[in-house]
Amino acid sequence: MSEITRRGFLAGCSAAIAALSGSRFNTVAFAGGPQGNNDILLVVFLRGGMDGLSLLPPIAGADRGHYESFRPNLRVPTSGPNAAIGLNSQFGLHPAAAPLHDLFTNGNLALVPASGQPVLNRSHFDAMQFVELGTPGDKTGTTGWLTRHMGSASNLPPEIVMPSLAVGALQPQSFAGSTETLNLSNPDQFNLQTGPYAWRSAQRTSLRRLYQSDLSWLHDAGVQALDALDIIELNVGDDYMPANGAVYPNGSFGDHLTTLAQLIKLDLGLQVATLDLGGWDTHGDQGSNGEGYFASIIGELASGLAALYQDLDGTGASNYTSRLTVVVQSEFGREVRENGDRGTEHGYGNTMMVLGGNVNGGIYGNWPGLHPDALIEGTDIAVTTDYRSIVTEILLRRQGNPEIHQIFPGFTADDYQPLGLVNGPDVIPNFGAEIFADSFETGDLSAWSTTVGE
Amino acid sequence: MMGRDRVTTRFGPSRSVDAVANPDRRALLRRGAHFFGPAVAESAQHAIQPTFMRRPDRPGPRQKMTRMPAPPPAAVIATTRLGYGPRPGDIAAFNALGGTETARLTAWLDQQLDPASIDDSVADARMSAAGFTTLGKSLPQLWNDHHVVEPEWEIRIQPFLETERATLLRAVYSRRQLFEVMVDFWHNHFSIFAYEFIIAPVWAWQDREIIRANALGNFRQMLGGVAKSPPMLYYLDNRVSSADFPNENYARELIELHTVGADAYFGAIDQAAVPTDSNGTPLGYVDADVTAAARCLTGWTISDRSWDPDFGNTGEFLYHAPWHDNDPKTVLGIDLPANQAALKDGEDLLDALAAHPATGRFVAGKLARRILGDFPPSEVVEAAADVFTAAVAAPDQIAQTLRTIVLHPSFLSTWGDKVKRPLETLTSAMRGGEADWDFAIGADDTNTLLWRFNQAGQPLFSWHPPNGYPDVKFAWNSTAPLVMSWKVINWLTDVRDPSENYRIDPLSATPPDVRSAEALATFWIQRILGRPMPGPEHDEIVSFMAQGHNPNLDLPLDTSESTQERLRAMVGLIFMSPAFLWR
Repeated sequence: MSEITRRGFLAGCSAAIAALSGSRFNTVAFAGGPQGNNDILLVVFLRGGMDGLSLLPPIAGADRGHYESFRPNLRVPTSGPNAAIGLNSQFGLHPAAAPLHDLFTNGNLALVPASGQPVLNRSHFDAMQFVELGTPGDKTGTTGWLTRHMGSASNLPPEIVMPSLAVGALQPQSFAGSTETLNLSNPDQFNLQTGPYAWRSAQRTSLRRLYQSDLSWLHDAGVQALDALDIIELNVGDDYMPANGAVYPNGSFGDHLTTLAQLIKLDLGLQVATLDLGGWDTHGDQGSNGEGYFASIIGELASGLAALYQDLDGTGASNYTSRLTVVVQSEFGREVRENGDRGTEHGYGNTMMVLGGNVNGGIYGNWPGLHPDALIEGTDIAVTTDYRSIVTEILLRRQGNPEIHQIFPGFTADDYQPLGLVNGPDVIPNFGAEIFADSFETGDLSAWSTTVGE
Repeated sequence: MMGRDRVTTRFGPSRSVDAVANPDRRALLRRGAHFFGPAVAESAQHAIQPTFMRRPDRPGPRQKMTRMPAPPPAAVIATTRLGYGPRPGDIAAFNALGGTETARLTAWLDQQLDPASIDDSVADARMSAAGFTTLGKSLPQLWNDHHVVEPEWEIRIQPFLETERATLLRAVYSRRQLFEVMVDFWHNHFSIFAYEFIIAPVWAWQDREIIRANALGNFRQMLGGVAKSPPMLYYLDNRVSSADFPNENYARELIELHTVGADAYFGAIDQAAVPTDSNGTPLGYVDADVTAAARCLTGWTISDRSWDPDFGNTGEFLYHAPWHDNDPKTVLGIDLPANQAALKDGEDLLDALAAHPATGRFVAGKLARRILGDFPPSEVVEAAADVFTAAVAAPDQIAQTLRTIVLHPSFLSTWGDKVKRPLETLTSAMRGGEADWDFAIGADDTNTLLWRFNQAGQPLFSWHPPNGYPDVKFAWNSTAPLVMSWKVINWLTDVRDPSENYRIDPLSATPPDVRSAEALATFWIQRILGRPMPGPEHDEIVSFMAQGHNPNLDLPLDTSESTQERLRAMVGLIFMSPAFLWR
C-alpha cells in the first residue's frame, strides 16, 4: 500500500483526534487575538548572485545606451519576440519573467533596483552569511535573523503548531539557532515508516522518550524532529491539488513551492518560511537576446512565484495572498560589464522583489544609473537601498514586530528609509536605546548566543 | 556543447532527490511503495500526538544549553571522529594498543596515518566482488569511453556512480578509516558538483589521482592537482579563461575556499593598503588579487576539442600558451615579471597561496572543526597551523597537521559539539550492525539505499556551491536531515538479501546466553556504541525490548519471529538514539 493511501487512512482514523484538536490547532492556537499577526513572510533566497540587470534591464534613455555598450552580447532586446516587457518608461522585465507581469500590473509586485548590503563583499559565502545572520559585515553570530525575529515577536500566541518552515533538504542559516522551525523537503517522504512493521509504534514511543531523557542541544533537536513528524503525519493528507489551475514548474523549486502552498493551507499558524533557488552564479554563457540559461532560470523563478500566487488566491478564509508577503533576494548582484565568456562576474547592487496582496506594486528606490561615473569601481551598480530597510518595513507593517534592534543589530533609525512597499499599521520601531558601531557584539546580540562548544 | 556543462557552476539546487534525477532513480520512485511496507495507521495512531512546534516548554534559542554528554573512552572518540564509527571488535583492538589512553591513541593514530601498513583485504575483496569496471581507468580512457563516444546516460555517469558506491563501501569496510575520512574531507574542501554531464565521466580519476593520492600527503601537491584537474577546470570555468577574457570564478574560490580563506579577505581596497606581516607578506587578499590570480591561470585549460589540433581531445589538462596573459602581475605582494616560462605564473601563484600563513590557519581551522567541534580551541588551531605552514614542502604535511590536532589534549576532553552528518550516520550504522552489503551497480538494495540516503541531505559529490557541505551543527540538527537520517538507518534493519537473509542480522550475532531484555539491550548497546548508554537511555532500550515483561527473564528469541523482529527494531532504536549520533 502506498504512502498516499496510508495518509488517507491515517487522516480517516485520526478524525477523532482532529475533531478534538481541530479548533485548538487551527484557530485558538494561532489567531493571536487583536495583537496577533496573521501574515506570512516568505523569504526566497536566490543563491549564487542573481543578475538583477538581466531581470530588470533599462529600456530607454541614456541608461539603455550604457547598458548596451556594457552588455553587447547579453543585453535583453527592446523589440522583437524576446523584447523586455516594459514596466514603466525606464525599466523592462526580462521576457522570460513574463509570468510576473500580471502581478506587477495588478499592483502586487514591487521591484527595488540598486538594493543590497551596506558593505561591498564579493564572496558568495560571506555575503550569504551576512544576510542570513542579519549582520552585514559580521559573521560571528550563531542565530539567524529569522530566528531572532520569531524569538522577539511579542504579538504571537505561546503555542503555534507550525510557526516557521524551511522547505528544502537542509535549513538555511537564517534559521540558525531556531528550536521551533519545521524543515522538510517532501511531506510524502517525511515520516518514519521503516523498520520492522509490527514494532514501529512502540519504537516511535521509545524514540521520543530517548530524546526527552536529557536536555542537550541534540536531545532538543530530536524532540523537535519528532514533533515535526507528528505534525506532518497528523495534518498532511492525500495528494495535494493546487487551486485555480495553478501549475508549478518542474523541478525542486516548483516542488518546494507546492509543498509550501500545501502547508500554508493547513492553517497551522505559519509566520515565516524560507525557500531557495540556486543556479545564479553565471560566470559564463548566460544567454543572450532574452534566451538561454538565465532566461530558463528566471523563467523557473517567475512561473513558480506566479503559480504560488495563483494557488493561494482565494476569498474569505482562503484569501491567502492577502496575508502573504514574499521577499526575493540574492547575496549580491553581478558586474554591469559582461566578461569575455558571455557571463558576468560577482558584483554589488541588485534588484530585490517584494510580492504579495498587501504590496504596493511598482519600481522603487533611487536608481543611480549606469553612467560609468555612477558605478562603484567602474563596474558595479551602487547600493542606494539597504536591503534591511525593505525587510524592516515588512517586519513592522506586515509582521508587526518592532524589535528591529534584535533582528538587525546596528541598523539605526537613520539607516531606515522605508519606501512604502507594503500596507499595514505603523508600528514604532525599536532600534535600541544607544547605537554603537559594534552593538551587535556587546549589546543586543549577546542575548542570543548559544554556548555549545565552549 | 556549452550550455549543458556549465549549468553546475552556478549553485544549482542540490542534486534533486525529490524530483528523482535520472531514470534509475525514477524507476525506484515508481516502485517505492514496495519498500514502504503496508499501511501504518495502526502503529501511527498510537504514537502520534497533537503537538506544537512553538510551545512554552520548548527551550528557545536564548537559553544556554548546559547539558553536554561526557566524553566517551578514547577508542570511541577516535573511531567516531577519525573513522566511520566502531565495528564490533574495533574497540578491543584499540584498547590492546597500550596501557594508557594517550598511548593507545598514539599507536592507533600512527597506524592510521600509514594506511599502506594496514591490511585491507576485506575491503579489497568486497571491491572486487562489487564488479566495478571504471575505477582504474586512465583519464583519457574515461574521457573516451564515457564522454567522447557519446554513450547512453547510464554509461556516461557510471564512473560517478561507481565512485559513489566505492566510497560508501570503503567507509563501511575499509580498515584505513582515517584515510577514508580525509578523502571525504578533501572532497568537500575541493568540492565539485560531479553528478554532471562532463564531470561524471571522469570522476573516478579525480577521486583516485587527485584526492586519494594526496589525502594524507602534501597540500601543495593536491592543490596543484586540483588546479589542473578537468573537473575543477570545468566546474569553475577556468577552462575558458584567457588573456583577453579572464574568468575569475576559479581564481576567487581558489583563494577564498581552497587556500587563504575569507577571513583574510580585505574586500575591494587597494592591494597596497593591505597590512603586511614581519616578512612583508600581505595579511590577506583583495579583489585585485583575485583578478591577478585569474590572469596567472589564463591558458590553463583542457584538451577537449577534437576539431582543433592545438587542443586535441584527450580530456587531460592542457596549457594553451596563446591564451596566457604575459603581462606582469602582482599577487599577494609578489611581483611576477612579464613573459615567464610556461605555467610559471600559475605555479608561482599556487606556491604563494600554499605557503601563506592564512592558508595554514584556514585549513587547520577546518580540520579542527571537522575533528573536534564547531568552535575548536584556538590553541589547537594555531598549533596545527604552525605545523602545516612549517611542513609546507613535506610529503606528509597533512599527516603531521592531523597528528598535532589529534594528540592535543582537547581531542579526548571534548565531545558532543557535533552531530554525525548523514554520511557518518549511515556508514556507522552499517559498521555497528555489521551490515552485509555489496554496493554493486544495479543492485536493487544499493539503489534503494542511495535513494534513501540522498534524501537525508548529503548526497555524495553533489553539493552545488564550491564550498562543500556545511560542517557546523546548525546545518544538520534541523528536522529534515535528522528525520531522513533516522529513516534510512532504521530501514537498514529490515532489508533482506536475495537469499532472504537479513543484511543486518542481530539474531545470529547474539550469544546464546544473551536472552533477557536487559542482557540483549546491554549487549547490543555495547556492541554498536562501544560503550554504555546514559542510564535513562539504557533503561528505555531495555523497556522497549521488554515490552512490559520482566526485563530479566529470557525472551523466546530463538522461537518467536515477533521477538526477533523486536530485536531488529531495538537495534534500529539504538541507531536512532542520541548516543549514537554524537560526535
